[in-house]
Amino acid sequence: MRKLLAVFAHPDDESFICGGTLAKYASEGVDITLVSATRGEMGRRMGNPPYLNRETMAAAREVELRQACECLGIGQLLFLDIRDKTVEFIDEERLTARIETIIHEVNPDVVLTFHETLGGHPDHCAIGKAATAACRRTGHQGALYFITFGDAMARPERYGYTRKDVIRIDVQAHLAAKLAAFRAHRCQTEIDEWVWLPDQEALAKFGRHEYFLKADREAPTRDPYDLF
Amino acid sequence: MIRLYNQSKLIQKREVLQMIKITKPQVEAELQTFLGAEAYIHSEATSFVFVRNFKVRVTDVFIAGEGPFRAALRFDGHGWLRMEALTHYEADGSGRLLLAGYDDRGRMNVALHLGKEPFPE
Repeated sequence: MRKLLAVFAHPDDESFICGGTLAKYASEGVDITLVSATRGEMGRRMGNPPYLNRETMAAAREVELRQACECLGIGQLLFLDIRDKTVEFIDEERLTARIETIIHEVNPDVVLTFHETLGGHPDHCAIGKAATAACRRTGHQGALYFITFGDAMARPERYGYTRKDVIRIDVQAHLAAKLAAFRAHRCQTEIDEWVWLPDQEALAKFGRHEYFLKADREAPTRDPYDLF
Repeated sequence: MIRLYNQSKLIQKREVLQMIKITKPQVEAELQTFLGAEAYIHSEATSFVFVRNFKVRVTDVFIAGEGPFRAALRFDGHGWLRMEALTHYEADGSGRLLLAGYDDRGRMNVALHLGKEPFPE
């Protein structure tokens, strides 16, 4: 059985950034494990109108993430129990070792995480850096890809990358699952009117592709449209 | 083969509003339950700062304004904590008073929580 391990920072990273790809591989029978470093309990969006406060947020977002995992077909969910917004302050060696242990247990064919400088949020960059180091140590570097935002990597040259560093996944057939996952993260998406439009109108807002960067730029690309 | 496309139809917009809008007498009474006691404080303002589990001995409590509201604590004989833009609250029945300020789309701008016990780290 093919296995994919995703190491992210917050509930919703998996859905908002690469939900189509996860749904696609799950639908093909890939066994997916998601690690969320935090429960996203320091987010500013509290529902619209608000139904959460700082103290109820962690549990609510965990429930929402579990529902999103069902929508996408993610089989296993692990939390690292780090407080939201503090990942970069966690001892780096211990964090790397924890991820290393998970990699040993899962033994994935593909690992997804954030790029340690292009991650866009301090928690993203910190978990990406630790996951990248862990993959290097376990010999999984060839399996590692960085998730990217929207269509940014349709033109990777701006970021110092070339087309051969990019894997482009066609998620058109899996956008309904992605939309369901967006709606599962309701405290985060209620503020976005487009998510709650009739299905066909909401689906039209999604791009057809999700893009991934190869961590090991020297490794030959077998198929520029497939992570496995 | 996992296909859950219909889930998007099942998840509908929720209509319940759980956070309560601040009314001054209720919140003032809740604040006064912390007078003379040690309290753990969680406080934050937008994304720029948060503090969690400051322990103080509360000597005075204040709430002011007509909404949004301002709240202030005096503590330890020499300290002040003041916050503004507070709109909602919840007294969660376990010795905790949670004050928060939301914008008109549910984003939290500020929070001031008082607890008799430490908040989960």
